[in-house]
Formats: sequence, C-alpha cells, structure tokens
Amino acid sequence: MFNPFIRIAGWQAFGLGLVFVIGMGVIGTFSNVSFNGALDAHFVQHMTFSSSFTLLAIDLSSLVLVMWITGLILSKVFRFIDILGTMTLAKAPLLIIAFAGYFNKTIFQNTMPANPLEMFQSVTFLVIMIISLFSMIWSIALMYNAFKISCDVKGSRLTIAFIIALVVSEAVSQLVIYKLM
Amino acid sequence: MLPANCPSCHSTLKVKCLKCENCQTEVTGLYDLPVLALLSTEDQQFILRFVINSGSLKEMASELKLSYPTVRNMLNEIINKLKKDEE
Repeated sequence: MFNPFIRIAGWQAFGLGLVFVIGMGVIGTFSNVSFNGALDAHFVQHMTFSSSFTLLAIDLSSLVLVMWITGLILSKVFRFIDILGTMTLAKAPLLIIAFAGYFNKTIFQNTMPANPLEMFQSVTFLVIMIISLFSMIWSIALMYNAFKISCDVKGSRLTIAFIIALVVSEAVSQLVIYKLM
Repeated sequence: MLPANCPSCHSTLKVKCLKCENCQTEVTGLYDLPVLALLSTEDQQFILRFVINSGSLKEMASELKLSYPTVRNMLNEIINKLKKDEE
C-alpha cells in the first residue's frame, strides 16, 4: 500500500501511473478539482480539460525534475525512468480527491465564506477534507518511498533531501503555473 | 554454510585447520576466510543468481519478481559490505 516500488518501477510504473494521472485529469475536470501544484488540490467552480491536463503536466514535470536533480546530487547510479515511473505512480492516491470533488457542493477555492468556520458546519465537507488529507499523506508517503528506492538514498540524508525537494518542486510548479496560466 | 562469526563474541572467525580426506593430512595455520564467505547466506545466494544470470539486473528482477531499482539496491548493499570487509 505504501511501497509498491519494491515490485514495480520503471516503464511499468510509469504506464500504470499515467492511467491514474489521466483518470485524475478526466474526473477532476468533471468534479471541478484542480491539481494546481505538486502538492495541491483545490475544489473550483469550473474546470476545463485543457487546464486540468496542463496543471497535471506542470505538477508532474516539476516533481520529477526536482527529484531527478536531487537524485543526481545524492546518488551515484540511478535511472531517470525509475524516478519518472515511481513518481507518476505515487500520484495515484490523488485520484480519490478527484472523486471527492463530486460530493463537494459547499466550498470552492475562489468563494471562501466570510467566516471560514462555516466550512466545518458541513459534515460532507469535513468527510471530504479528511479523505483528501489521507490521500495527500498517502501520496507523499509513496513519493518518499519512490525517491528512496529509485535513488538508493538512506537515513537522515534521505529525509532531509526529500523534504527540501518536495518543497522546491511545489514552489517550481507554482512559479510555472503563475508564469504560464 | 560456513560460519563466519564467533558465536560467543561475534568477531570474524579464521580458518585454523584444513584436512585432506584422501590421505588424512592436516594443514594447520591461521587463514582468512574468503571475502564472499563472510557474507550472509542470502547475499551469497544473490551473488550466485547474479552470476548465473550473466550479471543482468533485469533478469534478476524478473526472476525475483522485484523491481529493477530494488535489485540494484540489493547489489549496492552487497558491494558496500564487500568494500567494508576488504578494508
């Protein structure tokens, strides 16, 4: 559940991960979920196919690129395809957030209520929030193991490098989204 | 499996005596164990499979039903152990 990369990596993981990412793009378009950042998912009022897939492409590219550069700094020998494949598959749990968007009828990113506490009065929203949080943590745990297995980095070096790389990839994706969209 | 460590203090064992089964001659001394014999049974099995598979990590991954980086990491660990033993 948290480390499928012991058995699957490379092109196989990329193919499977791509199915999930395409699913996120399609379902996210209909359920109005925007994956606008390497670590972001927001409920919006309107979503189009083009923006959904462009955002996903930016998220994934930023994540893979930053993890690959971090891998080059820390590891001697590793394959780019393993980083690409495992990181793509690590996005799979976010498909749950795309589905959760169907049930969100209350809160949207650009229409936040005057009193944010109103959000917590909706049981549906609370359930969606908990499920989304779990999906995000699951995805991050997968990314951690993807980086660990693909680059063979261990110990505190792994944890520190992964946290920095994740934050940088989020920043890069936000910057690219800001510049392009 | 040849024991490589002392069961009492866990230090590396040495070979004290070798015997010819044909003429019963015994050669006594203090010889180092081969580096590969210092590895665990699993690691020795891994090296054996690796050689049989012509050193192909892809073949190994397919045989062990593990991913390519997992098998490569296992090999890296053995390399590190061998380097440590060599020092």
